[in-house]
Amino acid sequence: MAENDRRNQGYRGGRKRRYRDDDDFDRRPQRRRYEEPLFAQVRRQLLTIAESAARRAEDDVQGIAKTVADNYEDEEIRGDFVNIALDLVLEQPMKIPFIAGTVLVAHSLKPELGSEVLSKAAEALQKYIDIGAWREVKLLIRFLGILQPVYEGDGIFPLLEELFARAVDLQTASSEDLLGLELVKIIQFTIPYVMLSPATGFEAQASALLEKTDIIASTPHALVDLVNTFSPEENQEAAGQSVISLMQTQLQREANQGWELKCLPRPWKDVRDAETDEPKSFESVTKVPFPTVTVPNPVLNGARPLFPEVYLSVYANQEVDTVPSTTDISSSLIRDALVDTINLLDFNRVATAKFLIDIDCYFTTTTFVKRATPFDRMRELAGEVQPWKPEDVAVDAVFSQLFQLPASEHKLVYYHSVLTECCKIAPAAIAPSLGRAIRFLYNSLETMDLELSNRFLDWFAHHLSNFGFTWKWSEWVDDLDLPAIDPRMAFIQGALDKEIRLSFAQRIKGTLPDPYPKLITAAKEKDTPEFKYSSEMAPYSKQGQELMQLIRKKASDEEIQSVITAIEDQAKSQGVEDPKIPSTDAFVTSLCFVGSKSLSHVLSCIERSKDRLLAIGTESQRARCQIITSVMEYWVDQPGIAINIIDKLLNYTILTPLSVLEWALSESVAAGTILSKPHIFEMISATVGKVTNRMRQIVAARAQPGLYEPQLSVIDETLVRERTDMQSLFKYIEDSIVSIAAGSNDQQMERGDGSGTLPEDAIIRQWGRRWLRVFRRKAAVEESFISDALANATPLGTQAPPVSGREGATDGDLDIADADAP
Amino acid sequence: MSLLARNTVDRLDRPSAYYVSKNKRRRFNDRDEDEPQQEEKPDEKLKNATTLYVGNLSFYTTEEQIHELFAKCGEIKRLVMGLDRFNKTPCGFCFVEYYTHQDALDCLKYIGGTKLDERIIRTDLDPGFEEGRQFGRGKSGGQVRDEYREEYDPGRGGYGRAYDEQRQREEDEYGAGR
Repeated sequence: MAENDRRNQGYRGGRKRRYRDDDDFDRRPQRRRYEEPLFAQVRRQLLTIAESAARRAEDDVQGIAKTVADNYEDEEIRGDFVNIALDLVLEQPMKIPFIAGTVLVAHSLKPELGSEVLSKAAEALQKYIDIGAWREVKLLIRFLGILQPVYEGDGIFPLLEELFARAVDLQTASSEDLLGLELVKIIQFTIPYVMLSPATGFEAQASALLEKTDIIASTPHALVDLVNTFSPEENQEAAGQSVISLMQTQLQREANQGWELKCLPRPWKDVRDAETDEPKSFESVTKVPFPTVTVPNPVLNGARPLFPEVYLSVYANQEVDTVPSTTDISSSLIRDALVDTINLLDFNRVATAKFLIDIDCYFTTTTFVKRATPFDRMRELAGEVQPWKPEDVAVDAVFSQLFQLPASEHKLVYYHSVLTECCKIAPAAIAPSLGRAIRFLYNSLETMDLELSNRFLDWFAHHLSNFGFTWKWSEWVDDLDLPAIDPRMAFIQGALDKEIRLSFAQRIKGTLPDPYPKLITAAKEKDTPEFKYSSEMAPYSKQGQELMQLIRKKASDEEIQSVITAIEDQAKSQGVEDPKIPSTDAFVTSLCFVGSKSLSHVLSCIERSKDRLLAIGTESQRARCQIITSVMEYWVDQPGIAINIIDKLLNYTILTPLSVLEWALSESVAAGTILSKPHIFEMISATVGKVTNRMRQIVAARAQPGLYEPQLSVIDETLVRERTDMQSLFKYIEDSIVSIAAGSNDQQMERGDGSGTLPEDAIIRQWGRRWLRVFRRKAAVEESFISDALANATPLGTQAPPVSGREGATDGDLDIADADAP
Repeated sequence: MSLLARNTVDRLDRPSAYYVSKNKRRRFNDRDEDEPQQEEKPDEKLKNATTLYVGNLSFYTTEEQIHELFAKCGEIKRLVMGLDRFNKTPCGFCFVEYYTHQDALDCLKYIGGTKLDERIIRTDLDPGFEEGRQFGRGKSGGQVRDEYREEYDPGRGGYGRAYDEQRQREEDEYGAGR
């Protein structure tokens, strides 16, 4: 039964053939075939190894090994076995002990088979080392590490020593080095698997290596604080340790306990010798030399940018432990395997979710309690041997990736989708785990990194949108009395706004218990916000209405201009300092109103008025700010639409990124209270993101190989200019917020008695500190990206080689053109 | 030779069976003619596709909602709502165009099959929007699938229109016969 289930999930080789696939003639078999060819059977067994709780994984391991060894002469079976085994190592890391176990047993039966796997693995390993794909290196070395008993001499240790030597070189060369740390991480995450293997007598070597990695792993890298989920400044207690320093302590503890490694499976353990029926000793297998792998000097890093990683658990500090504590090596070993699985399988979130739900199949049976054990039951179970809650451990790993700083490996929505799928597969088991995670995150809102609390907000709203917007809002009722700028209140209001953006106000209102519905005002329920000039009382009301009518009927520019002039004349006569401001307000507000029907309506309005808007934008900084003010005020109750329009205005270059910052951080800063609004953070992040994306495209164009003068200088000039612009943008943010964080912003000083002791003052200063941290980090990350990318770029002044190689130069023009695309 | 020439689990960023079979059918017809035409592989047209067809939307889902969800996979270049050929009202599908192929693939992987406006939506890689394709091709102006649908779907105009008409007629006749 289990096998039938699996076939329909579309694993490789299991696809249903439709007769239409055959173009030439109908080849439908006349009756169902019952015999599965042997190679297909091996393939299927291998691909689904350990997946079923109904079978023993040990039987899978032995069964496959035996079939393959018995049919060694069959090239198809042999080829499939070698290929699929290594593919699984690289794509489904939780299965590595089972794959390695299969290869171990196969090798003991047929050493040639083992050698074939080894040589293919080594060839791949060499390739990945050369290109600097360190995750693949880690996984292949882990696999090779479990095969330690088949090697002559020290086996895998010399390779680990060599990697360590490179790490030392890198670390000595620069204190900012991150690649060395990555190499240390690879060594750390290999040692337990070598010690897990049936090989014996390597304790001393492992300890010696551990002693060496200690210095590097225990010295905190300067960037750790910057990528921490919690800034140590805000919450020293919650700030996590780096993954490698944590692992170092855990490894030492495990070494002292004789490498018990109690969560990792040893599927080779009860293999029996075919002849003697004694437990199989892998010490006596045919030994082969460890394959030759050379580690280049120096090593380089591949496509994935490296940053220190910090261990995060959203189930820390519960009254009952449901996940391994950070003193236990299981926390790191399980997390590492899960995280790689999640990030490697981004192309099939359903499969990822399935693996997460089936997590208990891939570790020892004593590791987890039964699936879907309620939290309350865990309390009763709490005893000496504490098994963990599989759902919590799985969900924890997903959150650790969703909350990775400075950036997650994949788009955030991938992690959203994994959690959604988990909930779909096992709603009763997963939903309560998510509930507790949400509670932890909500309670951490004040001190969590601001970028992460916004990711939390975004996920929360998106997740609820997939499940009928149901949430136990009642538990946060008490917080509704908090001031609007309190992080929790800001979260609640922000979440409701985001929910509305994915749905509509009335619907969301209907999902809320009392007294929440009052948070969704009547104005929010209006599809078309009021046009302020409709009121006779509004200044310029007559002209405003006229302007709106003209825009609606797509009148000529002259007609529009005459109304604009009328507004400006009236303003002047009333002594308004900058008459452009009321005229811009009337014009932009009218555009918003006429375009309020949908995004494409407002876009076509903007498109038609592009020249006029561009002219306003270039005329005065205050008029440019007024464009933003008018948009934000018209859509004040639906901020999602407002920031979307701002985004499009940036694309049209009607607004400059700096003008958006000026608007938010100076014009509308409201003594810093604006910093509490999630949509403002979203708008500023998006604006800065546009600038940094463009910057990165130009850097990529500058760094491409085969670029020569004069193109080189042309691109370089653009780069220098844009880089300066980007830096001044970051400087502007820094300068504006630093004073808010210090409480010395002019408006702040004027509040109350100016002593900065109003209850809200402390909250505002905290918002300021949290904003600063985010944008300082962004600035640092961009600078390091640029310097890394340019380190190996062709130096200025390089001429094309005399005859060949001219083609490269023309490419440069194309690429810079591409970089101009938004 | 594998080492991930093929993945160990299926990929969600492939063209749908619908797209592939639609192209196959066309190829099959071509073959009946004397001159076998140089056939284009379906994958070839989608190699750099940045557009997605999005289906099973509610008629009431707005551009803003679509934008809100789909922008999670990258900046949206263009959004074309599918309209009823006659009424020019939304009829439950749209085209979303991104700036990059990768964003479109990510959308297939992360958004296709999830909910928007509380309906599971479907996404399919598309060779690109062309004028005219924004209109429903069904007899009554909407999408073909909404003509004969026998289930009641409040988000998509109730029963299928042709089906509904027939039901209505039968009911009337039954009444008249009495």
